[in-house]
Amino acid sequence: MHTDASGTASATSFSAWAGSVAELCELVERLRPVAATLGAPAPADCDWHGVLFGKLRPQVAREPLLVAAVCGGTNTGKSLITNAVVGAEISRSVPEAARTLHPVASLPRGLAARVDLAGLFPGFRPVTWTSERDALDTDTSDVIVCREDSGGRQPARLVILDTPDIDGTLRENWQRAELVRNACDVIVAVLTQQKYNDAAVREFFAAAAAAGKTVFVIFNMVDWPRQRERIAGWLATFAEETGVAAAAVYAAPHDFPAAEAGRIVLHPLPELTPDGRSVPLGERLADCDFDRIKRRAMEGAMRVVLDDAAGVPAWLDAFVARAGEWRGSQQQLEERGRVRVELPPAPRHVVWDEIWSWLEPRRSGVDRFVSRGYRWAGARVTWAAQRLGVVRTAQERQQDFAALELAALKQALGDFIDRLEDACAADPRLASMLGSRLASGDRVAWYADLERRHAALPMVSQAYRDFVRGELDRFARDNPVMVQAILTALTVGAVARPALTLALGAAGAAAVPPLAVGATGGLSLLVHHVNDYVVWAAAPLAGEGAVMMAGKGIGPLVEGLFAGWSSERGRILAETLHEVVLGDGVDEIRRLAAAGSLPEVIRTRQVLDACARGCG
Amino acid sequence: MHRDAAAPSPASHAEADFASFDALADALGHWAGSLPGWAPARAVRAEWEAVAPRLDRARRELSRMLVVGVLGGTGTGKSTLVNALAGTEVTAAGDVVRPTTLNPVVVAPRDVDLSWLPLEAMQARLVRSDAPALANIAIVDCPDPDTQPTTETAAGAGGRPSDRNHNRDMLEAVLPVCDVLLLVSTAQKYRSWVVAREVAAFAPGRPLLFVQTHAGRDPDIRADWRRELESQGFEVPRIFRLDGVEASARSAAGLAADPGFRELLEAIDAELAGRAARRVRRTGAVDLAAWFARHSRSHLQALRGPLAELAAALAVERSRLEGILARGVGERLRAGRTDWQRHIAVDVIERWQGGPFAGFLHVLAALGAVWGRFRPGGGLIGRLLAGQPAAGGAGWRAVEELGLAEGEVEQSRSILAGYAARARIGAPLVGRARIDAAEVPATVGAVVERTGHWLATGIERLVAERRGRIGSGLTHWTFEVLFGALLVTVLVRAGWSFFHGNLWEGRPASGAGFLQEALVWVVLWGLALRWAVFGLVRRGLDRDIAALVSQLPAARLVDPLLADFHGAALAATAFCAEGDRLGDEADALAAAVDEPTGLGRLRRSPG
Repeated sequence: MHTDASGTASATSFSAWAGSVAELCELVERLRPVAATLGAPAPADCDWHGVLFGKLRPQVAREPLLVAAVCGGTNTGKSLITNAVVGAEISRSVPEAARTLHPVASLPRGLAARVDLAGLFPGFRPVTWTSERDALDTDTSDVIVCREDSGGRQPARLVILDTPDIDGTLRENWQRAELVRNACDVIVAVLTQQKYNDAAVREFFAAAAAAGKTVFVIFNMVDWPRQRERIAGWLATFAEETGVAAAAVYAAPHDFPAAEAGRIVLHPLPELTPDGRSVPLGERLADCDFDRIKRRAMEGAMRVVLDDAAGVPAWLDAFVARAGEWRGSQQQLEERGRVRVELPPAPRHVVWDEIWSWLEPRRSGVDRFVSRGYRWAGARVTWAAQRLGVVRTAQERQQDFAALELAALKQALGDFIDRLEDACAADPRLASMLGSRLASGDRVAWYADLERRHAALPMVSQAYRDFVRGELDRFARDNPVMVQAILTALTVGAVARPALTLALGAAGAAAVPPLAVGATGGLSLLVHHVNDYVVWAAAPLAGEGAVMMAGKGIGPLVEGLFAGWSSERGRILAETLHEVVLGDGVDEIRRLAAAGSLPEVIRTRQVLDACARGCG
Repeated sequence: MHRDAAAPSPASHAEADFASFDALADALGHWAGSLPGWAPARAVRAEWEAVAPRLDRARRELSRMLVVGVLGGTGTGKSTLVNALAGTEVTAAGDVVRPTTLNPVVVAPRDVDLSWLPLEAMQARLVRSDAPALANIAIVDCPDPDTQPTTETAAGAGGRPSDRNHNRDMLEAVLPVCDVLLLVSTAQKYRSWVVAREVAAFAPGRPLLFVQTHAGRDPDIRADWRRELESQGFEVPRIFRLDGVEASARSAAGLAADPGFRELLEAIDAELAGRAARRVRRTGAVDLAAWFARHSRSHLQALRGPLAELAAALAVERSRLEGILARGVGERLRAGRTDWQRHIAVDVIERWQGGPFAGFLHVLAALGAVWGRFRPGGGLIGRLLAGQPAAGGAGWRAVEELGLAEGEVEQSRSILAGYAARARIGAPLVGRARIDAAEVPATVGAVVERTGHWLATGIERLVAERRGRIGSGLTHWTFEVLFGALLVTVLVRAGWSFFHGNLWEGRPASGAGFLQEALVWVVLWGLALRWAVFGLVRRGLDRDIAALVSQLPAARLVDPLLADFHGAALAATAFCAEGDRLGDEADALAAAVDEPTGLGRLRRSPG
């Protein structure tokens, strides 16, 4: 009935699209989870999504089928009209409203064997028709009931669908109707005097018109023939509101007994039909120019997808804009998420013992002898002082230090939580990422984790020993003369008080001592030394001061060794924060801030350009 | 007269109900505004601000006529029904264009004062009617809810007629003045989502009449509609079914109403006019109050768990801090052993006047006092044990000296802040985890002061008990005798050597050497006796300190540090409890005024 040439031409242009559409779908699928965390609109909520995934993807490369769907509000007689068009009762018509819960498809003979129906109707599970009551089944999953036309009257490439309502109290029905609308090429709009201008009805059909669907309008329950002349006015309102240009218009008289018996009469209204012909609906469906309608529907669908204001480009813009906002949030977090921890002064013996044990083999016999003498005398004096209660024992001092240090770390954790809460209060995006962790996290467990890590941390770890030796070896290599000078004159010492800055993000990472580099995610540590070198009163006993006095170069070295020790202590706080409190929230924020320049985003733009060129 | 006095009439029952309703409404209003610092309570108050004017109006205007809002989707025949009730065409009806009714139309009896009706705000037109059906009610033909675009974005580019459609907004301005809703629907529209949403929003406290129109054309869907309404939480005693067009025609022609319409007219007369109107208004008001209480309660319901958890966490954290404080205080009390004995002994010794041992101890005490000046302060406990007043610094340092670090307190407060956040408690009810510097004197200072008083009392008791042990004259003189015995021995020995050995037997005098030796022995003996005195003082000290410290939790010393959380949890829990009480009261009142009527009502939120 139509030239093969047009069919081939359209098939060629479709196949040119097919690759791009498939790639576009894949890219959107890949970006979908990122979009969800970014707070960009979910693709599934956008008008273009249903068109892209429900129509273009399943149909662009498939055998050209014409899908016609009967759509309308509750209790407007959709099932009755579908049965009339198909010529058999495929969907039960009942007096109660909103009873058709599942779409019912009437397929031409043999189609089910040729075509993957699940692919043709994405979002639905195809089930085989058993009776006209299938559509009323209260099964909650999305199924499409498929029935082959046994009589063989249905044109070979035409699929006719009855759909659930679009305005009832069951929202699932709307969603199913929208899925069907997206997949179809032709819509039979069933309107009534009561419903032709309802907002829900208008919005449903406006989307169909925007996507280039061919629409046949049926006014049902008309007080025939009294209301015949009213129909032109109703249609004009409907057309103006929805943008639908009806390809043909019919009227079905209100006849309750006939409807009860499953009979319905469709009067063609040639005066409202563009071609002015009076052709029954069934014939029109069978005779319509499949390829032209198909191409129009496909091009309409592509137009929706490519629309700058509401299509994929707009969605992508929103995606990139959201990523930009996340960059702002990341900055905010870096500014606010910064806590200074005042650790108690490091027990000097901890670091010095390591230095001494490194020096030991390098010292002269005389030096060692004198030093041993000093140490022996020092130990006796200390013992006596402890007995008198003037000085605390080494173990007591260690306990005191541990308690002070733990309290300082806990206080820093508390401050950090406070600051994060502030940041979340100031920035809803941060709140969405970290707020629930802060609000519902088990804080008792956070502190318990910090306590556990602290208890498990030895005063001096092997890693720190290796670090000290490495540093000293390096120093000795670089300054052989100075080491010699130190070894000949060991006397006075000094202790530096450390302060840790714990920050989120990359800021200050350059200054992190090597030991702090660990599995701490987006957290970085920065160790400062409060610049109050204290000359230790008992220094002559140990001779540490000599190291300090021996040359300017040694100051930074010793400071570095103390810093290494402090950063190792502080790292447990960073670990608790990263592993228990924040999880990978901070890394996630960094990822989102960079989402705007993902390769998928760039590629999506290229694919959209390619599609637009093909469309043009 | 006599009978009236003997048995109160039903009307006076009703008045009594209304008096208790007044009390309930006042209590609800007071309750709703009682905790503005708590976000859920603020939500309750916001809800109350919407409900209160309606309750207030119901109380003030108990006897004014009812306003019935005729509500339904477009094309369901609202205007036709209004015309039928009015007996003449008062509002445009028909099938020419949808929607037909753009502005609401109020139809009211001719000589009734309607100055209280905000016609301008409703954008309504007023029509007077003499129809007997409308003799006792005012009726509003409402705009439809289903032709206005559902979302702003759906409203096209602004070029469509519907972009100017604000029927739903207008409807939402009209419904608040309605006392009763007359819901009109058809076979096509009884399951409309938009209509259901509007009805659900305005149904609380408003009785309803349900009418299926287009009876001449449509099948009877009343059974299915009833199921639908009941699933939305409505109580549906009956649904009227009539044909508005026919009723309107018969009414205009002066013919008797058909049965469906007649039933509706009878129901209006019986349920909405005269005394019934009073009942409707009263029941509506009580229903509304009960609905508000129920609604608020269901909102607060989710917070009960978190509140209980907060209270439990509060107890845990309090005892944790008390434990830390008790450990610190105990340690410091035990570590101050020398301070204890000096503190007790000094006092006792001062009372031991006379006697050489007392003199010996006085000399040692004077030396000890000099030494004590060079010792560090030792914090609050050191000061107390040194006999100084408890008052000290009010900052963190003072508490940390007792063994309770700021970090530990911050930990507890941070944990509690987490629990509080789950119960949606935040500023201003509770402070930050780190106590604000301005609050430190009030919180930390209070802890120092409480602990100082408590410790001062405790230490004083321990000291008094120990003073009793050694303070008696018997103990004093026993030690004097023991010390004096050595002195006497030394003196007797010296006297014997001098008088008997030197003067009598002519042996050479032993000289100062003996005396020096004797002095050493006296000092050693004195120190040994002093050690014995201190032993008496020290006996059982550790046990007593442990007993003292074990009483620390009962003294609730750390309470000021967590006082804001404690207060907030109490206030929020009390708010919920008061809500429960008022809810029960409202339900009881609703049950008391409940009479079987033909009017529908919203019983519960949709399930």
